[in-house]
Amino acid sequence: MPELVLDTVAKTFGDTQVIRSLSATVEDGEFLVLLGPSGCGKSTLLRMIAGLTEITAGEIRFDGKRANDWSPRERDVAFVFQSYALYPHMTVRGNIAFPLVMDAFRPWHHLPLVNGWMRRRRMKDPAIAARTDAIARQLELDPLIDRRPAGLSGGQRQRVALARALIRDPSIYLLDEPLSNLDARLRMQMRAEISSLHHKVGKTFVYVTHDQVEAMTMATRIIVLDKGEVQQIGTPDEIYHAPANTFVARFVGSPSMNLLTVDGEGAQLRISPSLSFAHGEAAPRAGRLVFGIRPEKLELRPPGEGPLPAEVVVVESLGAEIVVGCRLQAGGTRDHLIDHDLVFVRRPGNERPALGSPCSLSFAAGDVVWFDAVTGLRLKP
Amino acid sequence: MSALSLILGFLRAILVLVLVAVAGFPIYWMATTAFSDPGQLYASGQVPWPQPQYFGALVAELEGLPVGRWMLNTLFVATGTTVVSLLLGSLAGYALSRFRFHGRGVVGFLLFMTQVVPEALILVPLYAMFVALGLLNNLLGLVLANAAFSLPVATFIVKGAIDAIPYEIEESALIDNCPRIGVLTMIVLPLIAPSLAAAAVIAFFAGWNEYLFASTFLMNRTLWPASVGLASFIGQYETPLSAVMGTALLFSLPAITFFLVIQRRIVSGLTSGAVKG
Repeated sequence: MPELVLDTVAKTFGDTQVIRSLSATVEDGEFLVLLGPSGCGKSTLLRMIAGLTEITAGEIRFDGKRANDWSPRERDVAFVFQSYALYPHMTVRGNIAFPLVMDAFRPWHHLPLVNGWMRRRRMKDPAIAARTDAIARQLELDPLIDRRPAGLSGGQRQRVALARALIRDPSIYLLDEPLSNLDARLRMQMRAEISSLHHKVGKTFVYVTHDQVEAMTMATRIIVLDKGEVQQIGTPDEIYHAPANTFVARFVGSPSMNLLTVDGEGAQLRISPSLSFAHGEAAPRAGRLVFGIRPEKLELRPPGEGPLPAEVVVVESLGAEIVVGCRLQAGGTRDHLIDHDLVFVRRPGNERPALGSPCSLSFAAGDVVWFDAVTGLRLKP
Repeated sequence: MSALSLILGFLRAILVLVLVAVAGFPIYWMATTAFSDPGQLYASGQVPWPQPQYFGALVAELEGLPVGRWMLNTLFVATGTTVVSLLLGSLAGYALSRFRFHGRGVVGFLLFMTQVVPEALILVPLYAMFVALGLLNNLLGLVLANAAFSLPVATFIVKGAIDAIPYEIEESALIDNCPRIGVLTMIVLPLIAPSLAAAAVIAFFAGWNEYLFASTFLMNRTLWPASVGLASFIGQYETPLSAVMGTALLFSLPAITFFLVIQRRIVSGLTSGAVKG
């Protein structure tokens, strides 16, 4: 398949602009993740690709052909809904076979009353039955094949929804937060299954999520969206290590990148009138900047050893690693704690520093990411 | 604890018995009156249970009357009303529920208005229309007139039921290459079967019991439905009570059967499990 091109696509609902002028290209066989917070327009964009929501302006092209007015069917897409949207009155077999049965229908088979009878007949078709069984076996649904959706657990329903998408061999798979209704363990398992499925079928996947862990682990490429605008398009590594702006820096990563507004004068950076510290290298330019550093690039040291004096405020143990939240301190006493977002440090092991204990933070100059304080855009070193 | 639940169970049983007695007594009294000595009915001392030995007398009394024909006419009118109401009500209810179009509110309002206007009020204009359209003395005309009143009810019931179905299920079917009409007939209608059954009951009984239109639009005795036929028993000087009750009993049997058949479908909960609840 086809390359999918979104060319200055926009969507407005009444007076609300949900997506403003978005352009992107989805390559054949890639796993593209649309990542963004709730209400950023990512699901709307997916529905526009599917043909379920009209496009207000711009153009969608499948393989170079304008597809704005194509029906979902003409676009040859499969869609997995967040709610799964299974047919409650049909068995698992009926649900999975439905797309194939519809493909096998002649126009007059769609007549009311005829269609119910034809559907049951088509389901007995050896080719369709064999394919249904094969897909069900692949997703370990064969013991449940005669149950209805009401009798299935969340994970099982999710697998039925996936099976229904897989059976037809479409050119693009569109998945709208398919894992958000599952518990953590099942989500991890399904994440791995969807990834391996992508490798196996080798088709294009477009996957919507607000969960950056899903995005980082599954994607070959990520589009980060906010307020209907593309913030960054890149591989998970690019998004993580070289965020295009402060929004991406904050949204991706857990805990997110530490961002401090500083006034730079050469290698000396001032956070507040009473706290300034030395940075190994000169800042990209003088004036007000945002200093960004990932939690795992910060090092927790005894007081006085690092350039940033701080106090331990929060300690979270994640088993194999701990996350320490610190508040920066000016002048070395508690009275001078700086009112600022906590600065997080992530480090391996489970050695917990005492709450309230003084400490200092150090970092390597090369790990710092700089942003413009006004536009929020990343400054190239 | 068990003594308490025993008492509660007993009270519940009594309550059910009382309700059954209240609901069932008219039918019982119809049977009692139908199978009794006509002479006794006009004097005091009617035997309070059916007396099968008067069955012959009842048959003799009804002989020569087109009771069977009346029943068939009623069945035709009730079934026709149900079919027309459900068919058009499903389409209209689906459109009102799923499509946004200009005049949607007006359509809803006009449908509601049909329920506000009493039938007797539009009887004369309707009569004039039926004369112009040649629908007088025609059972199809009666079906149309009845459907005009039960269709809005069916439409509202269907619309309400479809509103409760997540639209994603339909979108899913559209993506699976199912055309709109297939979405409606293969996905939506099976899911709202309980509501359709309820609408069917309302439309069927509206057609079954209807008297005013039938007595106005049908002059031909063989076209009468049973309701008009029954009323024709009432004479100026005499009303044959056992014949009226016998016919009424006959008349209510198909209706009871219809209800018993369809009431199994009036169960909700079919949509559970479609989407994460």
